[in-house]
Amino acid sequence: MVFTDAKETGNPIIFANDSLLALTGYNREELLGQSINFLVEGGADPETRAQIDAVFGDRADTSAEICCRRKDGSTFWAAMFGNPVRDRTGEVVQHFASFVDTSKHRQAEDRLRFLLDELNHRTQNTLATVQAIALQTLRGHADKEVVAAFEGRILALSKAHSLLGRETWTAVGLRELLDQILLPFGLKNGGAARFSVEGPAVRLQPKAALTLAMVFHELATNAAKHGALSESTAGKIGISWLIEPTPKGERMQLRWQESGGPPVAPPGRKGLGSRLIEGGLAQELEGEVRFAYEPSGVVCQIVMPLPHVELDRSG
Amino acid sequence: MDNPLSGSRVLLVEDEIIVSWLLQDMLADLGYEVVGPAARVDQALAIIEAEDIDAVLLDLNLNGQMSYPVADALVARGIPFVFATGYAKNRLLDGYQTFPVLQKPFHRLEVGDVLAKLLTQEAPKPASLPSFQ
Repeated sequence: MVFTDAKETGNPIIFANDSLLALTGYNREELLGQSINFLVEGGADPETRAQIDAVFGDRADTSAEICCRRKDGSTFWAAMFGNPVRDRTGEVVQHFASFVDTSKHRQAEDRLRFLLDELNHRTQNTLATVQAIALQTLRGHADKEVVAAFEGRILALSKAHSLLGRETWTAVGLRELLDQILLPFGLKNGGAARFSVEGPAVRLQPKAALTLAMVFHELATNAAKHGALSESTAGKIGISWLIEPTPKGERMQLRWQESGGPPVAPPGRKGLGSRLIEGGLAQELEGEVRFAYEPSGVVCQIVMPLPHVELDRSG
Repeated sequence: MDNPLSGSRVLLVEDEIIVSWLLQDMLADLGYEVVGPAARVDQALAIIEAEDIDAVLLDLNLNGQMSYPVADALVARGIPFVFATGYAKNRLLDGYQTFPVLQKPFHRLEVGDVLAKLLTQEAPKPASLPSFQ
């Protein structure tokens, strides 16, 4: 830790304890009288400048993470905690600042970030291999439609993984998820007018994001085959949601409504799609799903709890 | 397939054989003539040297070796290419951040779109060509 003189310009160091000397490699004589900037790497940079000014300002209990320079030229990150020292009249005469070396912490964070990137990369590569194996295996043995259905599901799963990976597996915005999943169904490719997506910003936890990714993919696939997105119709899909408080926390009500497509009828047999939609949500997310084949088009209503949801201001 | 770019020669650089089969099928479905596949950097460089290529689908990580030397050679020759990777785009080297990227696993629509763009637009140039000599 150091004390600096607040009355001289540049906050000259007037006291440095042994642990600061050990941390920086300087001896006491070399430090005393030097400006605090002597220890700072890139002190001319306006952002660093502002941080130093804040720690050596009038406010109590300030802190900043600053890159510092040792005598041998090497650098380290330090958390600086500052406090002004006042005389009897209340005027700031000195500053007291302690340094905590956070390099190890930073290295551990970098390493974790690297491992997470590696994991995401391997997950995506593995999914690419699964896609390739499946297509080679099914080649010539299965309908093109079956192959396309399988491929679509793997890709939907991969999009959700990729979004989660970008956010270090914390949460994903519902709107981003919809954008990614609906992309191959023409959301951005001229077909955008067929979709209306409305609702407040919602952050989804990983499990909810993965399940909903599969659900939206199945709904869109179904719409492309039989409903509002099927060929030679000018159908539309409205997706809207709202969040409401309940005694057990917040929950989301989401509505997927198709219109303008051909008349729809319930399927004779339940395929993986409806199992994923009804079973997936009910079992994995404690949600409820109501599926209606109304004459105007399919309506799917989803009600699900939103645990620890944060509103994302950026939308 | 009524692809106006049909018959264009696309070099495939991919180290995983089964994934390269998938891409060969996708490219053939799109009407392209597949060159390669090359599984290593030196193989890819040799093919670029010897053959006429219109565009390249370039896996970023070839069995642990990054494929930037191939990218450098393609930029030098003005041959358009797209990186294929499971990494996030921000993991690309600085000079290549603005280059097109196909995320793995592959979506056939995206493969089609990106190749059509490559074959109809001018090849992008890196901001500053990284050197791997």
